[in-house]
Amino acid sequence: MAYALQQLINGLTLGAMYGLIAIGYTMVYGIIGMINFAHGDIFMVSAFIAVTAFTLLAAADVSSIPLALTFVLIVSIFFTSAYGWAVERTAYRPLRGSTRLAPLISAIGMSIFLQNAVQLTQGARVKPIPPVIEGGIVLWDTPAFTVQIGWSQLLIIVTTVTLMAAFTWMITQTPFGRQQRSCEQDRTMAALLGVNVDRTISLTFMLGAALAAVAGVMVTVYYGVVDFFIGFLVGIKAFTAAVLGGIGSLPGAMLGGLLIGLIESFWAAYLWAEYKDVATFGILCLVLMLRPSGLLGRPEVEKV
Amino acid sequence: MNKKTLLATALLALGGFSGAALADLPVAIAGPMTGQYASAGDQIRKGAEMAIADINARGGVLGQKLKLEIGDDACDPKQAVSVANTMVNKGIVFMHGHWCSSSTIPASEVYVDADILVATVSTNPQVTERGLPNVFRIMGRDDQQGLVSGGYIADHFKDKKVAVVDDKSAYGKGLADEMAKAMTAKGLKPTLREAVTAGEKDYSGLIGKLKQAGVEVMAYGGYHTEVALILRQAQAAGLKLTVMGGDTMTNAELVTAAGPAADNVLFTFSPDARKNPDAAPVVEKFRAAKVEPEGYVLYAYAAMQLFEQVATAAKSTRYADLEKTMRAGTFKTVIGDLSFGPKGDLAVPGFVVYRWQGGQYDYAR
Amino acid sequence: MSTVVFARHAMTPAERLRDAGWVAFVGLILGIPLVGLTTVDVGGRLAVGTRFGLLAAAVATVFAGRLLLHWALDQARNRKLARARASTATAADRAHGAQKAVMLLGWVALGASVALPIFYSDNRYVVDTATTVLIYVMLGWGLNVVVGLAGLLDLGYVAFYAVGAYSYALLSTQLGWSFWEALPVSGALAAGFGILLGYPILRLRGDYLAIVTLGFGEIIRVILVNWTEFSGGPNGISSIPRPSFFGLEFARSAPEGGQTFAGFFGLDFSPMHRLIFLYYLILVLALLTHAFVSRLRKLPVGRAWEALREDEIACRAMGMNTTNIKLSAFAIGAMLGGFAGVFFAARQGFISPESFTFTESAIILAIVVLGGMGSQMGVVLAATLLVLIPEFGRNFAEYRMLLFGAAMVLIMVWKPGGLLSHREPTVRLNPLGKPAAAKEAA
Repeated sequence: MAYALQQLINGLTLGAMYGLIAIGYTMVYGIIGMINFAHGDIFMVSAFIAVTAFTLLAAADVSSIPLALTFVLIVSIFFTSAYGWAVERTAYRPLRGSTRLAPLISAIGMSIFLQNAVQLTQGARVKPIPPVIEGGIVLWDTPAFTVQIGWSQLLIIVTTVTLMAAFTWMITQTPFGRQQRSCEQDRTMAALLGVNVDRTISLTFMLGAALAAVAGVMVTVYYGVVDFFIGFLVGIKAFTAAVLGGIGSLPGAMLGGLLIGLIESFWAAYLWAEYKDVATFGILCLVLMLRPSGLLGRPEVEKV
Repeated sequence: MNKKTLLATALLALGGFSGAALADLPVAIAGPMTGQYASAGDQIRKGAEMAIADINARGGVLGQKLKLEIGDDACDPKQAVSVANTMVNKGIVFMHGHWCSSSTIPASEVYVDADILVATVSTNPQVTERGLPNVFRIMGRDDQQGLVSGGYIADHFKDKKVAVVDDKSAYGKGLADEMAKAMTAKGLKPTLREAVTAGEKDYSGLIGKLKQAGVEVMAYGGYHTEVALILRQAQAAGLKLTVMGGDTMTNAELVTAAGPAADNVLFTFSPDARKNPDAAPVVEKFRAAKVEPEGYVLYAYAAMQLFEQVATAAKSTRYADLEKTMRAGTFKTVIGDLSFGPKGDLAVPGFVVYRWQGGQYDYAR
Repeated sequence: MSTVVFARHAMTPAERLRDAGWVAFVGLILGIPLVGLTTVDVGGRLAVGTRFGLLAAAVATVFAGRLLLHWALDQARNRKLARARASTATAADRAHGAQKAVMLLGWVALGASVALPIFYSDNRYVVDTATTVLIYVMLGWGLNVVVGLAGLLDLGYVAFYAVGAYSYALLSTQLGWSFWEALPVSGALAAGFGILLGYPILRLRGDYLAIVTLGFGEIIRVILVNWTEFSGGPNGISSIPRPSFFGLEFARSAPEGGQTFAGFFGLDFSPMHRLIFLYYLILVLALLTHAFVSRLRKLPVGRAWEALREDEIACRAMGMNTTNIKLSAFAIGAMLGGFAGVFFAARQGFISPESFTFTESAIILAIVVLGGMGSQMGVVLAATLLVLIPEFGRNFAEYRMLLFGAAMVLIMVWKPGGLLSHREPTVRLNPLGKPAAAKEAA
C-alpha cells in the first residue's frame, strides 16, 4: 500500500511534467493543425538556459531559493519564448497554407537542427547542477517502506496546477483567449473580423514555449542533469499524452500527461519496466480505437 | 616520386628530418563524434590527436608522417559501414575504432575485405568471437569484466540484497548478464533483474522497486549518465545504494552529475594507466593541454603507439606483415604491455575494481 | 487559402537596413544563452564562460546574410518576372514541359545508375553510398504508396523495414534459407504486419493515425530490444549470409562443394565484386518496385487510392470500401518496406534494433514529402539529397547534422510542395497537353 502511494506520487510528478509540455503540442495543433516536432527540443533549449542561469546565480552567491527560482524562471521563459517565436517565423510561417505534411517535415528538420546547434555550442557532455531543493516530507512511515514526497516534487505539482488554472482562465476569459479560439475555429473568418492572425499564432507559439520553459526549469531542479538529447524522448511522450487526451484540448493534454506518467510508474513498479513504452503505446492504441478523437477531444464533424 | 625519395634519403643522410617529402600515412579513428555518446568520441579524438602529434614529432613511422582521419558514426551501424567505406577509400592502414560494439561489428567486415588492421575498445564478445583475422581488442571483454565485478559483489556483499540492472544496450546487457552469472556461480542470487531505457531522466519507478525489495547493492550494466541520475534520485528518495558498474564509469561526468553520492560507485576497469609510471610524462602532457586523460583518452593514445611499434617492428605497413607482427610480439604502451591471443583479444586482460572517492577513483580495498 | 498579391513596392535601402537590423537583434537575443554564454566544467563543478566575440561575429553574419539574402531574392524575382513576360506559354504547356523534363531526368538517372559501377569499379565508397541511396529510394517508393498515393500519414514505416530485415536474418541464420527463398516470405510477413496493424486503426483520422503508427514502430523496436531469445536483443543478429550469384559465393575461398564467383569466371578475387553485385541487385529491386507501383497506379486500386487521398467522403458516397482500399495501400507499402529490409540485412550482414529508430521513419517520410508527395522521380531526387548531404557533410565533421537539419527546413520553405511537386491525378478526363483535341471533341 505504502509502495503504491509512493509510485502514485512519482507518477503524478512525471505526469505533471509531460502535461506541461503536452499543452505546447496541443495549442499549436489546435491553432494551425500541425504537429510541432521541434517542441521537445525547445524544452531542451530551455533546460540549458536554466542550467546557465543557475550557474550564474551560484557564481553570484545567491542563496535564497525562491529568489533564485524566480530569476531562473523569468530568464528561461524570456529566451525560450524568443526561440518559440523564431522557430515559428522561420520554419512554419512560410509554409502556412501549403500541404499538411510540409510543416511536419520542416519541424523534424528544425528538431535535428536545434539538437545539433545545442550540442555544438554547449558541448555534448551532460550538464549537472548541484541539488537546488533538497529534502522533503515523510508522509507515511511503515516499517517496510517510507513514503516521502520531495519538496521539488511538490513544487512541480503545485506549479503545474497553478499554471493550468491560469491558462484555462486566459483561454476562456481574456481577449487573447477569444482571439486564439477564433483562429482555431476559422482563420480566414477571424482575419476578416479584425483578429491579427499572424500575431495570435506567434503568441501561441511563445506561450507554448513558455510552458516548455517552465517544464525545463522544473526538470533541471528535479533531476539536476541536462543534456542535448533530453528533448527527444520527453517530446515523444508529451506528444503521445496530447493525443491520448484529445489533441487540441487543454484539459485533455493535462489528463493525458498525468495518465502517461501514472501508467509508466505503475507499469514499471509492478510489471516489467523494460516493456513500459509498449504499455504506453498499447494503451494509446486501445483508447484511440474506442474513442477515435482521444479522451476529451471533440469528435470531428465531417463536412462535405 | 623517385626524385622525392632520393631527396628524402639525402636529407636523411644529412641528419635532417625524414619523411617530409613522402606522402603522409593515413591512420584513422572512428566513433560517435556527434549524437548521444559524443563525449566518448571526444575523448578518443583528443587522445589520438595527441598521439599523432607526438609520433610525428619523433619523425613518424618508418620515415612517414602519420595523418589522422576522423570518422563519425554516431553509434549507428549503418553510418558505421559508410564511415568504413570512406576510410577504405582514403587508404588508411590502421583503424582505432569503432567505439560502440554495434558499430564495430558491421564495420569490421568492411575492413577485413580491404585488409585493414583494426584495434578497438568495443567490449562485446562478438567483436572478436567472429574470428576475423584483422580485429584486435585493446580492452577486456564484457564477460571477463562481469566475472571480476560479479565475483567482487559475491565476496563483499554476501548478506546484502543485490539487483542487477541494465540499459538494454548491447554493452550494458552483456555486462549485466555476465555479472549476474558470476554472482550466481559464487552463491549470491540477484534479488531483482531489471532494465531501464537509456536516455531517460526519470528513474523513480525503479528506485521505488529497489526500496520495496530492500536492495542495497545495484550491479549496473550501462553508461555513467544513467547511474548518476539513479544515484541522485535514490538519495533524494532516502535509499542508500551502492552501485557496481563497468568501464564507462571512469567518466568524471559521473561525479559532477551525481555529486557526493558518487562515492558509492564501484566499477571495473583495466589497471589505471594514469598510475602506470611509464605513462606519467604522457599524462602530464595531457594535463598541460587541459585534457584530463580519463576513460578512452589514453586508449586512443595507446592504439596509435601500438601501430607505431607494430609497423616499426614489421618494417612495413603492409597488412600481412602488420597482422603477423601484431600476433607475435608484446608492445609497450601507456596502458601497459599489450600482447594478443589467437582471437585477437588481449592475452592478459586485467580488470581491477575501483571506487570513486571525493572526485577521484582509486583501487577499491 | 489563396492570397492575391498586388505589385509589392520595392523596399528602400533604409528599410532593408532596418529589416536586417531587426533580424540581427533577434539573432542577438537567441544567441545570448547558447552562443554568448556557455557552461564549462571546472574541477567537477560548472562555471559560466563567455564568448562575446563569437556572438558579435555571429550577429554580424546574420546582419550581412539577411541583406545578401534579400538582394539575391530580388534578383531572382526580377528575372522570373522578365521571363514570365517574355514567354507566351500557358500553364498547361509549362506543366507539360516540366513533365517532359522529369521524364528525361528519369532516363538520365537510370542510365547513370546502370553505368555507375563501371566508372567506379574500384571505389567502394561511391558504390556503397549509391547502394544506400537506392535502399532509401526503394523505401521512399514503398512509403509513397501509403502517404503519397493513399494520403495516410505513417510515422512508423520503419517497423515494416525491421520486420523484413529480421525475417531474413532469422530465416537465414536459424533455418538456413537463402536470400531468394527468404525474400518473398519476408515481404509477405511484412505485408501481414501491415494488415494486422492497419485493420484496427484505419478508421482513425490523419494525425491520430500518425501517432498510432509511430507507437507501433516503437513497440516493434522495444520488443526487438527486449526479446533476446528471439531477436538477439540489443546484440542484434550478426553473420547474416550474403546473397549469392545463382549459387556462386562471393568469397576468397570456395565453400565445400561450391564455387566462388571469382573462381567460376576466372577472375581474381576482389571484394568489389560483391559490392557491385549488391548494387545491381538493389537497382533491379528498386526498378521492379517502380514498375509495380506505376502499374498499380493505372489499375482500379491505384485510382481508388488517389481518389481516397483527394476526398474520403466522396469515395464513401460513391460506394467504395474505404477500409479495404486503405488496407491494400498499407499492405503493399509494408511489403515493399519489407523487401528493402531484407536487402538491408543481406548487405549489412549485421542488424540490431538501433537501425530501426523513429529517426529512420522520419527520414523516409522526409524523402517522400521533400520529393513532392506522389512523385516517383521526386523520391529519387530527395533520397539522393538526404543521403548525400550528410555524406558530403563528413568534411564538416561536427557541423554535419546541423547542416542536414537546416537543409531540411530550407528545402521545405523554398519548395513547400516538394522538389517535384505537381500533384496530378494519374488519369484525367482531358489529358494535359491535348487541350485542342479535347475542344474538338466537344
